[in-house]
Amino acid sequence: MIRRSPPAAAAYGIVRKRDKGFYILSRVAMVVGIIGILFPILYIFSLSLRTKETMFSAHLFIIPQAVTLQNYANAWTYAKTNLNVSFLQMFRNSLVASVSSIAAAIALAALASFSFSHFQFRGKELLFTVLIGSFIIPAQVLLIPLFFLLKTMGLIDTYLAIILPYVGILIPIATLILRSFFQEIPRELKESAKIDGASDMKIFLRVVLPLSKPALGSCIILLFLETWNEFIFALVFLHSPKLQTIPVAIAKIAGGKFLLPVGTYSASIMITVIPILIVFIVFQKWFIAGITMGALKG
Amino acid sequence: MRAHITRTTSSRATPYLYVLPALLVCLFIIISPLVVSLLLSFFNFSGYDRNYFKEFVGLDNFRTMYQDRYFWIALRNTLYFTASVTTVQIACALFFAIIIFFGNFRNSVLLRTIIFVPGVLAPVSISLAWRKILEQGGVLNRILNIDFSWLSSVQLAIWIVIFVSIWQWLGYNLLILYAGLQSLDIQMLEAADMDGASWTRKIFEVVIPSIVPTIVLNVVINVISAFRVFDIVYVLTRGGPVHNSEVLTTLMYYYSFSANGPNKMGVGSAIAMVLFLVMVAFGVIRTGWLRRGSRS
Repeated sequence: MIRRSPPAAAAYGIVRKRDKGFYILSRVAMVVGIIGILFPILYIFSLSLRTKETMFSAHLFIIPQAVTLQNYANAWTYAKTNLNVSFLQMFRNSLVASVSSIAAAIALAALASFSFSHFQFRGKELLFTVLIGSFIIPAQVLLIPLFFLLKTMGLIDTYLAIILPYVGILIPIATLILRSFFQEIPRELKESAKIDGASDMKIFLRVVLPLSKPALGSCIILLFLETWNEFIFALVFLHSPKLQTIPVAIAKIAGGKFLLPVGTYSASIMITVIPILIVFIVFQKWFIAGITMGALKG
Repeated sequence: MRAHITRTTSSRATPYLYVLPALLVCLFIIISPLVVSLLLSFFNFSGYDRNYFKEFVGLDNFRTMYQDRYFWIALRNTLYFTASVTTVQIACALFFAIIIFFGNFRNSVLLRTIIFVPGVLAPVSISLAWRKILEQGGVLNRILNIDFSWLSSVQLAIWIVIFVSIWQWLGYNLLILYAGLQSLDIQMLEAADMDGASWTRKIFEVVIPSIVPTIVLNVVINVISAFRVFDIVYVLTRGGPVHNSEVLTTLMYYYSFSANGPNKMGVGSAIAMVLFLVMVAFGVIRTGWLRRGSRS
């Protein structure tokens, strides 16, 4: 089986000069697809930049006739006065929840994955299945008992109320990815460290982890998407606006009973969208690698 | 080699010690709540109660659920969701994956990245954006030059929710299928080429059959995620109009936590159990599949 790199494959595969049908179809479909994907986002972005007067003048629907940042200022003050919380605070909440749960989940999952890939021991397959089997359980099934559990521990309405469940949900995903990567680390590297007298822990910290930087990076990205966008736990386990994460806060601001002016509404959405878009553009290679890896290992 | 493995595993407990912290967290956060959830579905309680286990009601919660016609609507909608994301969504993603892979575009990475963009955004933000577009005075109605309330249509609401979900996850599916295409056996294509096969025949008789494993994997991922859908429904329709676009997760939320709901967490737990049992059934089917796949 010869595997060629994708460009070579593409050149040889289906599109040749005589396949005009495919050539035209592919170009038309791509234009339609890209417009279909980008239009809703660009349209809301366009609304968020319009002045009151030009809000409903539909010049090409996308390009505003007059541009203003006033809507963003309005959105900022609206959140502050009506929800009693600034966007900055929301971002901080999301960041605290994401970073701490990802750090904890990766640490625990890496240790477990190392054990699964490095040692032979009785019950290994069973333990592994138990650990990653929980991946299939919808988080909503756990909502009521977790609420009960967190309430009994007095944790409702604290950061821990979402961090703990997040860690539990991230561990199976991280274990799945990290174990399969750790398994591919050449045995000889670990053996030679062992001959030098390194303990198992040292092999894990000094050999396995440094070699796994790409896997860890992809893993972090994947987990970040899970926690940053998570909605239902944050909705149910946190009550005070001061602690709310971005998805819940934005759902309360824009999805609430009060009708927001179109500009303020759109600007509020864009405030939550723009930062993640920037992160995505900067780390796009990692995102694509992380998603593909996560899906294929899963 | 064997000699020093036995030497360094002086403590036979080491492997277990390394797994233990992760396992404990999972037991605590996922597995024990699952058991508690099963028990709770036989009790009558609300979020305000101090002790959830005070009133045993047997199968009453399941009876309430069974008699609620919106439970059946929610179940039906969840199945609509599952059916759509395993067929339409994968078909669309496959279409774009093939077009990008074989299209000789100058920058195919950029194309994939753009189509994936909605996948990094929060479903909540996306749904709010779509709500603005779909509202009565919204841009869609202006383009079509009609006056229609899309999200308050009893028949259409759930399909619009499904559409938005497909729109969001198309790029994610595309990435998975594209990875499948990258490991395609090019020699088979070359052979088909030599025989003078048309591009449609090459796609349907060579390309698609050889990435069936990736498609199956994608189906599995989509089924799992279809049963989890919550955010999009919650933000777009709140399950409305009058519970007609409810899915199992949102109905469970309505029964247990919603401010204008009945606050009957027992019934919520019963619905959660149905959700769990469907996933277990699916898991069993899936392992059956995988077994059969590895045997052949």
